[in-house]
Amino acid sequence: MVNLTIDGKQVTVSKTATIYEAAKEVGISIPVLCYAKKLMPYGACRFCLVQVEQMKGRLIPACTTPVSEGMVVTTISDEIKKVRKTVMEFLLVNHVLDCPVCDKGGECDLQDLAYELESTSNRFEGEKFDLPTDEVNPLIERNMNRCVLCGRCARVCDEVVGYGSYSFINRGFETKIATAYDRGLSCEFCGQCVSMCPVGAILPRPFKFKARPWQLKEVDSVCGYCGNGCTLTLGVLNNKVETIRFNDKIGVNDGNLCVRGRFGYSYVNHDERLTKPLLRKDGELVEAEWDEALQVVADGLANAQKGQGAGILSGARLTNEELFVLKQFAKTLGTQNLDHSGGECYKGVTEGLKETIGISASTGTFPQIEKANVILAIRSDFYETHPVVGMVVNQAIRRNEAKLLVLADKRGKLSKLPGAKTLLTKPGLELDILNAMARVLLDEGLAQTEGVDGIADLQAALANFSPAQVAERTGVSAEQLQAAARQLAGAKNSAILMAYGLPYQGLNKELATAAANLALLAGIPGREGSGLYLCGEKANSQGAIDLGILPQGNGMGAQAMFTAAAAGQLDALYVVGEDPLSSYPDRDRIAKALDKVPFLVVQDLFLSPTAQQADVVLPATSFAEKDGTFTNAERRIQRVRRGISSPGQARADGAILTALAGKLGSSLAFTGPAAIFAEIGKAVPAYATCSFNEIGPQGVVWGGESLQPASRKVVAVAGGSEVEGDFRLVTGSALYHSGTVSTKAKGPMAVLAEPYVELSREDAKALKVADGDLLKVAGNGVELKLKAKVGNRLPKGVLFAPYHFAEAQVNRLYKGEAVIAVKVSK
Amino acid sequence: MAETAENIQVLICTGTGGFASGAQSVINAFEAEFAKQGVEAQVGKRCDIKKTGCRGLCANDVLVDVIIPGQESVTYDFVTAELVPQIVEEHMLKNEPVVKKKAGPYYTQFLEKQQRIIFSRCGTIDAESLDDFIAHRGFTGIKKAVTMKPEEVIEEVKKSGLRGRGGGGFPTGVKWSFCKATPGDHKYLICNADEGDPGAFMDRSVLEGDPYGVIEGMMIASYAIGCKFGYVYCRAEYPLAIKRLQKAIDTCYEKGYLGKNCMGLGFNFDMRIKAGAGAFVCGEETALMASIEGERGMSRPRPPFPAVRGLWGKPTNINNVETFANVSYIFYNGADWFSSIGTEGTKGTKIFALTGKVKHTGLVEVPAGTTMKEVIYDVCGGILNNRKFKAVQAGGPSGGCLPAEALDAEVDYDSLIKAGAMMGSGGLVVMDETTCMVDIARFFLNFTRVESCGKCIPCRIGLKIMLEILERITHGNGREGDIELLESMAYDIKKSSLCGLGQTAPNPVLSTIRYFRHEYEAHIKEKACPSHSCKPLLHFKVIEEKCKKCGICPKVCPVDCIAWEKGQVAVIDRDKCTECTSCYDACRFMAIE
Ligand SMILES: Cc1cc2nc3c(=O)[nH]c(=O)nc-3n(C[C@H](O)[C@H](O)[C@H](O)COP(=O)(O)O)c2cc1C
Ligand code: SF4
Ligand code: SF4
Ligand code: SF4
Ligand code: SF4
Ligand code: SF4
Ligand code: SF4
Ligand code: FES
Ligand code: FES
Repeated sequence: MVNLTIDGKQVTVSKTATIYEAAKEVGISIPVLCYAKKLMPYGACRFCLVQVEQMKGRLIPACTTPVSEGMVVTTISDEIKKVRKTVMEFLLVNHVLDCPVCDKGGECDLQDLAYELESTSNRFEGEKFDLPTDEVNPLIERNMNRCVLCGRCARVCDEVVGYGSYSFINRGFETKIATAYDRGLSCEFCGQCVSMCPVGAILPRPFKFKARPWQLKEVDSVCGYCGNGCTLTLGVLNNKVETIRFNDKIGVNDGNLCVRGRFGYSYVNHDERLTKPLLRKDGELVEAEWDEALQVVADGLANAQKGQGAGILSGARLTNEELFVLKQFAKTLGTQNLDHSGGECYKGVTEGLKETIGISASTGTFPQIEKANVILAIRSDFYETHPVVGMVVNQAIRRNEAKLLVLADKRGKLSKLPGAKTLLTKPGLELDILNAMARVLLDEGLAQTEGVDGIADLQAALANFSPAQVAERTGVSAEQLQAAARQLAGAKNSAILMAYGLPYQGLNKELATAAANLALLAGIPGREGSGLYLCGEKANSQGAIDLGILPQGNGMGAQAMFTAAAAGQLDALYVVGEDPLSSYPDRDRIAKALDKVPFLVVQDLFLSPTAQQADVVLPATSFAEKDGTFTNAERRIQRVRRGISSPGQARADGAILTALAGKLGSSLAFTGPAAIFAEIGKAVPAYATCSFNEIGPQGVVWGGESLQPASRKVVAVAGGSEVEGDFRLVTGSALYHSGTVSTKAKGPMAVLAEPYVELSREDAKALKVADGDLLKVAGNGVELKLKAKVGNRLPKGVLFAPYHFAEAQVNRLYKGEAVIAVKVSK
Repeated sequence: MAETAENIQVLICTGTGGFASGAQSVINAFEAEFAKQGVEAQVGKRCDIKKTGCRGLCANDVLVDVIIPGQESVTYDFVTAELVPQIVEEHMLKNEPVVKKKAGPYYTQFLEKQQRIIFSRCGTIDAESLDDFIAHRGFTGIKKAVTMKPEEVIEEVKKSGLRGRGGGGFPTGVKWSFCKATPGDHKYLICNADEGDPGAFMDRSVLEGDPYGVIEGMMIASYAIGCKFGYVYCRAEYPLAIKRLQKAIDTCYEKGYLGKNCMGLGFNFDMRIKAGAGAFVCGEETALMASIEGERGMSRPRPPFPAVRGLWGKPTNINNVETFANVSYIFYNGADWFSSIGTEGTKGTKIFALTGKVKHTGLVEVPAGTTMKEVIYDVCGGILNNRKFKAVQAGGPSGGCLPAEALDAEVDYDSLIKAGAMMGSGGLVVMDETTCMVDIARFFLNFTRVESCGKCIPCRIGLKIMLEILERITHGNGREGDIELLESMAYDIKKSSLCGLGQTAPNPVLSTIRYFRHEYEAHIKEKACPSHSCKPLLHFKVIEEKCKKCGICPKVCPVDCIAWEKGQVAVIDRDKCTECTSCYDACRFMAIE
């Protein structure tokens, strides 16, 4: 800690603090323009200049200068005022000042600063900028006439996003921010530069002329897409979400958002949203009143219970409170057949972790990833599935020189980060690599074995996993394997990242087990600063695990329910917030089950392909329309807040469930999120740490920042097996989408509107296909026609098809395996 | 080839100036002549041609010295290939120096007040010869250094009083000790050879003439600080310097002087050249490091200083070429010797590049404490065409001008700053009465405004506005209050800019206002340029008293509007005159206003 004096006030701050931060601590605000909390010190605008007694004769930038013991700082004086005002005059000479039509007007840092400095006149004169605006893409508009060259866009895109769209070009007064070849922006459209631009130079196009900032009601909530739980702020006008804003002051994940969170909101206002219950009458789905629909559902489910039984399947985007009520409802109905998407996709992951570390959750929090020295990312490209965690990894590398190891079957964006080492293996063989790394740790005496059970068995089981042997099978060199293992074990803090989701079902349990083995041997779980991270696909995947939305007693899980239904052994299926027909592996089997099941109820936002098969469709509400909590992949319980009311007669899941329970004669009531949250605490002790109203902007991490494993047991896992054939297909998540709902959102669709199959340049050349050509992909007895997307991410012989697009029916090909042998032709 | 007293030596300048004036053909001519005449057999001695570096008097290139054993060396200037047979015939064979072609007394005078230490090998040894370097004490400095502890080496440099020659004048030993004190065993050493100051070419000449000397200085620094890797950041516009230095580095590697266990002295040092993109700001140390890292040359805030967090985040020590060259000599001769030269605050010598309206432009090395007057008048022979001296701009675009009354200022960091200029890297632009001081300020601003990296507002925008005001003044559109406005903004730009470029760019404006305010006032109030240099302010009128009636102007006038008859003052018909300024340029007597 360092002591200093600022404007006569004594301050004690950490020795890494800057003068600006120290001043802030004691409530002294120094004007800034180019400074941004989450970016590295830059010092371009010079508004933050202050005087320091010990550095006489100069003015000192507060935002870049670290504090030192005994420093005496003056933040305002006639001299400082004069200089700041001159700098403002300079800035305003050429600035267009078209505030009346600038979307930033009202929340523009330049306006605010000019106001604060009372810059009423200008001694200088010059021509206004007259540069063309960049409106090449549908999401982000760039108007360089308003740019103040603070560099924040370029810095965030580089330091945080890791994309690197922008660079400074030209020198002197002609300096400007440009995209590659100055051609207009074409990037991954995370909108982070929009968030960072202090002026109206980078603006979200969908928001143009929609509202003045002060007209917007701002509601801090949680992103409804993936399990990262990024805080996002709904910008609401007239009961419509007009834009998504960010909160880098107190929000989770520093206000960072990806394209889905930032631009994927419009499905909320989509005109295809269901507004009334639908009942199948004479084979047609027709609108009905709630009471009638609920009665039909209640009767149908009760009837089924009298027969072969009903099953309930939920998605993982319900709030914890709704999930809790759902579980109660299952009890009321008297069925043990309960599951959520996890049952299908990541049951194995939870099981694998349970067997080894005794818990089914990440052991650390994201801020610890940023401080990690070595990071191992397994299988998934986090930049695609969990973009903001990808950004955290990028920051760890750029700020703290973390070393990144990527174990994957493709070279995604993570592999391109500075210094990243990719252990590129054939799809399905990730397991072998993890095993080999474990073996290296054991062989070289680097493993932490004390207090870990099962070492001897594991050792024996790893007989065929020497680095040399595994190198032979996987194509990753023995030296690389050894180096990676040593790096992981030798680091002060390490992180192992694993993602799960509907398209990543194959070898799930094995991978989780192998990863946990490695983590245990490297002493990671429970160690302060280190962690094993399990990142769920959906906004509340972790909540669903925590609350046990799983088969009860001897009940059936998702897979069993579909099998039973297809075999005519289940009489009703109640699907809440999920579109299994589009997103579950093995579409044909799901279709058969939906066809066969005598009574199908679907509760959703849209008339999804699954809903189209239903007997009753109940209109539900989106995350923007409800209050409650989500639990993210760090175990962070966060508040979801209602920003708008639901369209038409759509009702929140909790309200529907309790109404149904009422029809069934139960007194189950939706007593409000706070009360139910308290109820959850009674059933799930981890959730008893706080009350609903105590959940602050940073949420509450159950189990604490570093969760101790409940057991430490290594369990042998067999290796993967290579799939024969010339081509192997893997499915997964694409950066711009999440599940199926993002295909109803304009933003993601503006960037990625169509299904595709991605292949390497080498394969494309051999097959003589170009971008956009139709390719026939055949396997598992099915043939699909998909547009080719040629790139250099994939190795030869590997294809990738994202699973989000219902119409592509990729899940007819994909039946849950880690990798599918396919034939490809033009 | 070792130097022996028996050989006849022909020293030919092969600096950039020498080559530009045809050094290669002179060399060829000597070789051809030697062969043709069988000179060696005739005189019974070997004749060695040495390709030396720059000798300072570049304007008189090609400079050639003929040294016949036992006789004083004879220097010829303006030597061309055509002249060579005569020199060989008369001087070498008949022992009768070609008196008419000898460099005049100005050459002796040029050398007299100089103290050529850094330049002692430039112009005397074969720049590309390691043997020649070694024969001239080469590498004895590093050998001496390694007998001392690294800390003692740094102490020695501190004791010498050496200050950085790159412009800032920071004590070199102190800088080294900062970098040494930063923990970590991965440290970088950088030699700054960007030299972007227009008109300055000291560093180029040192690199071209004594590349090994710079390498040796860097080796000493690397040993003292513990840097294992060094870069020489050299502007790409210096192909000869890069070529010679690269050759020297390669040779050092071949001989084991660089690399692992340098010279068997027990330390490792690798180095390479990084060719810069030629931006002035890349000479600024943080922008320079960004450039080496492959980023755009943009300055970064300090702290963190390079010694703490420099190249690729590692502790880094940066010094200028001339600084490193000095280090070698400190270890040849000792810190006490070094500190005996110069003034209280500035030790050793300083090289200056003189350009502008001075008789002998070129490079001079003088001990600190020499006055500006001595440099300009005694060493460089005074003002060209015997015009009146007006001012000298010291320190290039970052510096300031000194008028006649300030010419007693000494070559000394502090006294130059006190006089309103600065040592800078050593560029001196001499101006005579025909130079307009407002225009000079405009010239330098035009340079810095373009070279600004664009990062910070005061420099990026402020300099442009400042330039526009100066342009307005030199175009006769100056306004009441412009001078005060310039002063006020200059002050704010200096105070608020991020790096040295912006912090010093207004200096030429401030110093010209300080010493030549009346010229500004004349432009603004009378719309007149007292030096008749700002063309938009010309009246196109012949000043009767000044006109020498030479009759040149009517000849150049494209519209034939000048009436002149022999023995008469010329008269310009203002109605017909198109203000093309041809007559103004042509008049050697400044008789047109
Ligand atoms: C705009 C600007 C340009 C500079 N150019 C040079 C240069 O060309 N050569 C140089 O040695 N130093 C230059 N410097 C100074 C360097 O930043 C640095 O101070 C110097 O290289 C340190 O070496 P020294 O301690 O040996 O003087 C420049 C500084 C500024 C602000
Ligand atoms: S960026 Fe700010 S100052 Fe500029 S036009 Fe927009 S609102 Fe006005
Ligand atoms: S939207 Fe994201 S990727 Fe695109 S330029 Fe902005 S920050 Fe970079
Ligand atoms: S576009 Fe915005 S963020 Fe980027 S440099 Fe300009 S003002 Fe700053
Ligand atoms: S989709 Fe995930 S990463 Fe993207 S903003 Fe939402 S929570 Fe964050
Ligand atoms: S002072 Fe000029 S050169 Fe230096 S950082 Fe600022 S804009 Fe760039
Ligand atoms: S050139 Fe000059 S000196 Fe000669 S006649 Fe013209 S004005 Fe007179
Ligand atoms: S906020 Fe400090 S320089 Fe911009
Ligand atoms: S280059 Fe020949 S004397 Fe300078």
